[in-house]
Amino acid sequence: MVNEPLAPVERHAPASEARRRLFVALAAALGVLLLGGLFWLALNLVSQQGARPRPGSPAPDFELRLFEGYRAGYPEVLRLSDLRGRVVVINFWASWCEECYKEAAALERVWREYRERGVVFVGVDYLDTEAPALAYLKQFDITYPNGLDVQQRIAKAYRITGVPETFFIDREGRVAEAVIAPLTEADLRRRLDALLR
Amino acid sequence: MRQTLLRGLAFCVLLALVVLGARSAGAQGLGVDEQTYHIAKQLNCPTCAGRNLADCPTETCAQWKAEIAYQLQQGKSAEEIIAYFEQRFGTTVLQEPPKQGGTLVLWVAPLGAALVFLAAAVLAMRRATHRQAPLAAATASEDPLVAEIEAEVQQRW
Repeated sequence: MVNEPLAPVERHAPASEARRRLFVALAAALGVLLLGGLFWLALNLVSQQGARPRPGSPAPDFELRLFEGYRAGYPEVLRLSDLRGRVVVINFWASWCEECYKEAAALERVWREYRERGVVFVGVDYLDTEAPALAYLKQFDITYPNGLDVQQRIAKAYRITGVPETFFIDREGRVAEAVIAPLTEADLRRRLDALLR
Repeated sequence: MRQTLLRGLAFCVLLALVVLGARSAGAQGLGVDEQTYHIAKQLNCPTCAGRNLADCPTETCAQWKAEIAYQLQQGKSAEEIIAYFEQRFGTTVLQEPPKQGGTLVLWVAPLGAALVFLAAAVLAMRRATHRQAPLAAATASEDPLVAEIEAEVQQRW
């Protein structure tokens, strides 16, 4: 039996092999880019949904452009850190929020009662339009500083779950308590008295 | 041939212009309610996740729709009104995420995924073709030995 030389193994032409590799590399790069983009987007979403500021933690600072006629002697843009040394009550509300109507009069009354004792009330109007918001403030004769939370920046910083929601900030600028419910005058006084002690 | 192609192209352009003109004239001729609905369709309800502003019956949305109607009566255009809502409440109020920044991923990702899928499908088809080729060659009866075996098999069965 004669040993015949083996026929050369058929291979892909080098040009087509290079094309195939380039094709695979491009598809892989696109896949990685795609997954990377989605991962980045997911990370962004997660970072936006962090924890609420807990009692004892520093209250996130913010700037609030106040409605004209609702500045209570404060500048047009109120900054929370400028109120250090005072007890601050940050109340998130909206004119479309039925529960907010239940506490509006109480907030105004207690503000008038405590404003001379180093307490500042700040109304943060959430997802509202101007005309109904101003009508709401007029209806309850509200005089403490109030402004629209543009792009919900403050609401996001405080991770509110809805309205009404009220944060009590102590004189050192730390969150003392957060309340997710309409407040009565008694609720407000009890908390303020404890913070002013 | 070239003339026919040019005529076809001219017809398509004319048709597109007529359709666009009719749409624009239609939007301008709408009443405030219809225009409000048309604009609200492009916005999200701020309190109900994923719900269209136009179809949402909540108090918040009623107020927003009233604001749209008010601004229309003030002579604002649809673009100006949408920009007003975006400026005050952020891009999340838009039904369509903007094609820039982080949300660009939302537009590019499906296209990218389709391309990757297409590339994978083409690759898989090519591989399958390469694998089948030697098999086809082996079954060809050009080889005398294979032809002999095939004849034997046909005789017996």
